[in-house]
Amino acid sequence: MKIKIKEIMLDSLKDFDPRFLRHNPVMFVTELAFIVSIIAAIIPGYFDLPVTPTYREFYVAVIVLLFLTVLASNVSTAISEGKSKAITDSLRALKRNTPAKKVDGKKIVEVNSSDLKRGDIVIVEANDIIPTDGEVIDGTGYVNESSVTGESRPVRKILGDSVTGSTVLLTDKIKVLVTANEGETFIDQMISIVQTAEREKTPNEISLQVLLSGITLIFMIVTAALFAVSGFAGVKPDLIILIVLLVALIPTTIGGLIPAIGISAINKISSHNIIAKSGKAVENAGDIDTIILDKTGTITVGERGAVKFYPNQGVDYKKFVKYCAMASFQDRTKEGMSILKLAEKEGIKISESNLKSFKFIPFSSDTKFSGIKGNKEEIMKGSYNALRSLYDLSDKYIDSICKDISLRGGTALTVTRNKKFIGVIELSDILKPGIRQRLERLKSMNIKPIMCTGDDEITAKYICSQIGITDYIANSKPMDKYNVVVKEKEQQRMVAMVGDGTNDAPALAKADVGMAMNSGTAAAKEAANMVDLENDPTKLMDVIFLGKQILITRGSLTTFSIANDLSKYFVIVPAIFAAFSSLDFLNLLDLTNPIVAITSALIFNTVILIVLIPLALRGVRYKPSSVNELLRRNVLIYGLGGVILPFIAIKVIYMIMIASGAVW
Amino acid sequence: MFFLQNRLVSGAIIIIIYILIMLIFAYLISGYISSIYLDRKTSVDRILKPILLFAEKLFGEDSSKKMKLREYFLTLVLFNASAGIIAFLFLYFQNRIPFFGSYYQYSPSLVFNTVTSFLTNTNLQNYSNPLHLSYFSTTFVLMGLMFLSAGTGFAASKAFIHGIKNDDGYLGNFYHDFLVAIIYLIFPLTLIVTIILLPLGVPQTMQPYVIVHPILSNSIFKVPLGPVSTWEAIKNIGTNGGGFYGANAASPFENPNWISNLVEFVSFTIIPLGSLMSLRYIFNDKRFVNMLIGVLLGIFLFTTFMTFFGEYVGIPQLSMLGIIYNGNMVGKETAIGLSQSSIFSTGAVFTSTGAAATQLLTFTPAGILGVLGNLILNDPLGGVGTGVLNIFMYVIFAIFITALMVGKLPELMSLKIGSKEIKYSTLSLVTHPLLILIPFGITIFFLPHILAPFTNPRSDIITEIFYEFASAASNNGSAMGGFTVNQPYLNYVEGVIMLLGRYLLMFFQLAVAQSFAYKIPKVQLGRSIDTGSFTFGLMLFSTMILLGVLSFFPILAVGPFEAWGHSFGLFIGGV
Repeated sequence: MKIKIKEIMLDSLKDFDPRFLRHNPVMFVTELAFIVSIIAAIIPGYFDLPVTPTYREFYVAVIVLLFLTVLASNVSTAISEGKSKAITDSLRALKRNTPAKKVDGKKIVEVNSSDLKRGDIVIVEANDIIPTDGEVIDGTGYVNESSVTGESRPVRKILGDSVTGSTVLLTDKIKVLVTANEGETFIDQMISIVQTAEREKTPNEISLQVLLSGITLIFMIVTAALFAVSGFAGVKPDLIILIVLLVALIPTTIGGLIPAIGISAINKISSHNIIAKSGKAVENAGDIDTIILDKTGTITVGERGAVKFYPNQGVDYKKFVKYCAMASFQDRTKEGMSILKLAEKEGIKISESNLKSFKFIPFSSDTKFSGIKGNKEEIMKGSYNALRSLYDLSDKYIDSICKDISLRGGTALTVTRNKKFIGVIELSDILKPGIRQRLERLKSMNIKPIMCTGDDEITAKYICSQIGITDYIANSKPMDKYNVVVKEKEQQRMVAMVGDGTNDAPALAKADVGMAMNSGTAAAKEAANMVDLENDPTKLMDVIFLGKQILITRGSLTTFSIANDLSKYFVIVPAIFAAFSSLDFLNLLDLTNPIVAITSALIFNTVILIVLIPLALRGVRYKPSSVNELLRRNVLIYGLGGVILPFIAIKVIYMIMIASGAVW
Repeated sequence: MFFLQNRLVSGAIIIIIYILIMLIFAYLISGYISSIYLDRKTSVDRILKPILLFAEKLFGEDSSKKMKLREYFLTLVLFNASAGIIAFLFLYFQNRIPFFGSYYQYSPSLVFNTVTSFLTNTNLQNYSNPLHLSYFSTTFVLMGLMFLSAGTGFAASKAFIHGIKNDDGYLGNFYHDFLVAIIYLIFPLTLIVTIILLPLGVPQTMQPYVIVHPILSNSIFKVPLGPVSTWEAIKNIGTNGGGFYGANAASPFENPNWISNLVEFVSFTIIPLGSLMSLRYIFNDKRFVNMLIGVLLGIFLFTTFMTFFGEYVGIPQLSMLGIIYNGNMVGKETAIGLSQSSIFSTGAVFTSTGAAATQLLTFTPAGILGVLGNLILNDPLGGVGTGVLNIFMYVIFAIFITALMVGKLPELMSLKIGSKEIKYSTLSLVTHPLLILIPFGITIFFLPHILAPFTNPRSDIITEIFYEFASAASNNGSAMGGFTVNQPYLNYVEGVIMLLGRYLLMFFQLAVAQSFAYKIPKVQLGRSIDTGSFTFGLMLFSTMILLGVLSFFPILAVGPFEAWGHSFGLFIGGV
């Protein structure tokens, strides 16, 4: 994404407005400090400040650094806001005002798409842009939804399917019932969601702000008390130095980056082509305890497919595979295609010429078989029971294979040639690549996956054993998902789920994270708090990782920020009381020039904020691992690192300043 | 033999023995305390239950009527306030009420200070002279308040635990909680300690003061006696800390020998530590409670040894003269010695007792840092009840940050920590430093004349005045002294600090409990963050130390640190 530097700088400067910064207490205090130090530098006499050239330079340095601190915070916010603005802009660009063919009684009138009302009926013909959101009430056709989903493959829409405005009908002609007024369409909603999501603070963000405000308040009082006591102790208090101490102590690092972290979370979700309706949903995602996964589409790829051939006794394997392939050649069902694919893997390829003299008998739900019929031979494939009763056959060997297959949850497809069983094809669910590892990661994060499937008990159990999960709902009816959500919620657990049908809506609404597919019904999308534009249910897991990452980024930067204070104390306090040789032992870094030392601490404070902007926007690197391991790692890096790093950095800055001739 | 002769080693061994005995007694009572917290059956029900029922009837309160935050807190405050007002009247008019035996008229500011001090479990004793108090004032007014403040603290912690443990939205019944605390816990323990102290030589009498006329002296001494043993018992059991005598436990009548020293040490740690240990039965989370105790012991050991080493090394200049120098014995009771004085002093600030077996003013800077370290953490182990409240505020704070670091939303005992809980626990953690720093800054900046009588170096004055406010804010009550504390300004300001430090904090803490009271615990598969782990313990420890150090470092720098660097060089150990 292109970042417009000029706009960002303008936005950052605008954000200096105290009315805006008021929402961020840490930065608000920093800005106040900035203003006070300007005033103090202009009229130093009033504040009883020393006015030697050395001190003048120091004051200017402090003012510049304070300015940079606030600016850095604003820039980080502006960058992430810029990104989300780019997202809304691209959404807005989608919204095209198109002519629509509205059915008015028996006539068809051409109106503007923005004039359409809910309840209107429009006709859409091939290559027309669908004017607004609606539901197909007549006809079928292929729609290119790439403008919304990024998926270039056309989607077939039939009666009852929802269509999105600004997508293009490629074939045929459909009649659409308008379901949204102007300003309420899907894209309109997405725009307003992205806009409001970035504005509103999430509960966790509020908690953190409260905590940081508390710490800030303490430091303000500490600084004031130091001001009071230093006079008594025999040191003339220098207002600007105290301001530096205050700004160095208040958690500017996390305080400055909080808004950016929040907004960039929404942006990141958006860049996954998921629209999150609120930041809270993203944050909740990080804390999910239970995740309900649909078997089809999430754990397995689409429908079932052929996985193995079992020839009958006395039947040649290669020949059997060839017969299977012949019987499936014209079969356009998923099963048929998967058989051809598997046969190809086994090195058997059929061409049209092989089947010249055959007639295809398609599958029907009454007969439960399909096949080909030629002059001399007929090959049929179908369920064991159907074929057995068709030809009145019995075969012990085939019988045992079929039983085996169904025991492990697969489906047996028997094949006959000339009224005799020649073998069995095993159909089974094909797991999505990498699904096992993903589930492992979920489990290592202490998240309980529950699989939901319409299959029978045996199949469900088999698949669960394959992917290593224990909880499943077999024969699931729409209400089952809702019941699971309610049960888990009663145990105060956070639930995430995916849904697309109208009957999923109650469960989606009840779940803490409900992700609807864009292809789903309007009701589902309404109830969910996230919508996946690419219709990929596996992405629910990505959302969880993202949610965790935001929390980790916040927590780590907070720890880092507070840990930093220790070293700043050991730099600034001895510098303030440099007159007391008795406090030399607190001067751990041996910084002999107090003014340079104080400046170094402030430089570190500003630089670290700037350096951490990319980290805040990108998020702390997160490798899913056990909680204890993660904690140990982050405590080490951000806690211990936060204590040690500034000691080293400030010393280095100090030495550079001294070497470069700052002899204040 | 070397080890026993080496004072450093033997002192360290004594300190370890003290801590072990403290742990054993706290462990022994923890099961009983957990039954009190949970209103379960106890073995002494047969004797105490009728008394409890009778007392509840006397209060005319239906003990089954549960209260929510507003009612609970209001009841608590009104009950305390009415007791305070009565105590105020008795003390103020003690010279005008017949049979009171004292003709001394206290100034209103001193009475205000004394009453708030005893009411809030602080026991700063700006009055400081037992001669001016009649037996009635001592026995009924001040000792009454000592029982009351301990009972109130325990009731508050019982409400807090009720809030976390249950999800009915209530905190419990204040009168019931208070009476249970007094009848089941505080009174019986006080009785036992009184009886133990008697044979050790602690007086218990209603006889008039003894007049002593030393042979070679022209002057006549009036030695005040009284119900010292009972006073001593409730002073320590209730973590009150206000001495019968001005010298507190450094006076031979209060603390005659090393046995009484140990008895008193155990009696002021037994309820705070026992309550904390009882949590293992209450929440069924042994590892979490062990972690808490580990962290607290870490702080205690650190501060105690800091004080001990500081006192052991004493004034290096003296030891360098080549004369035999046995550490800083100035202001210490020889019967008790350095190590026992050190652990008594840090123990009294580790809990909110504030009793003193030695003169804190004469501590070395390192020694006083060990004591101050506990004060600025708001008495880590706390007083009766308040310890549980305080430590949970730190725990919530630490859990919040730790949970974020592993990408979880924070939860305590499987209850979600929302922004409300964070708000109140932050407020409670912020209140403490503010209560110290604001009056400290104002006093030292605007009212230097208060400090006029000081003759000490400036850094010592800073330490002394800082200590005074820190002690008031944390309801500890120990005092360094060093200046006239009985001044109207200090009396009033300290009184207000003590009241806020007690009731405002309690309100915030109970508000956290109220918010938890509605929450239903999550059914866990595993732990979200392992609050019993070493890493979390380290986080909690760092949180406490950082919050303490960060809030007070600049003041400590110009106070004890400066004195340390100034007069003592940086010698520690082995000098």
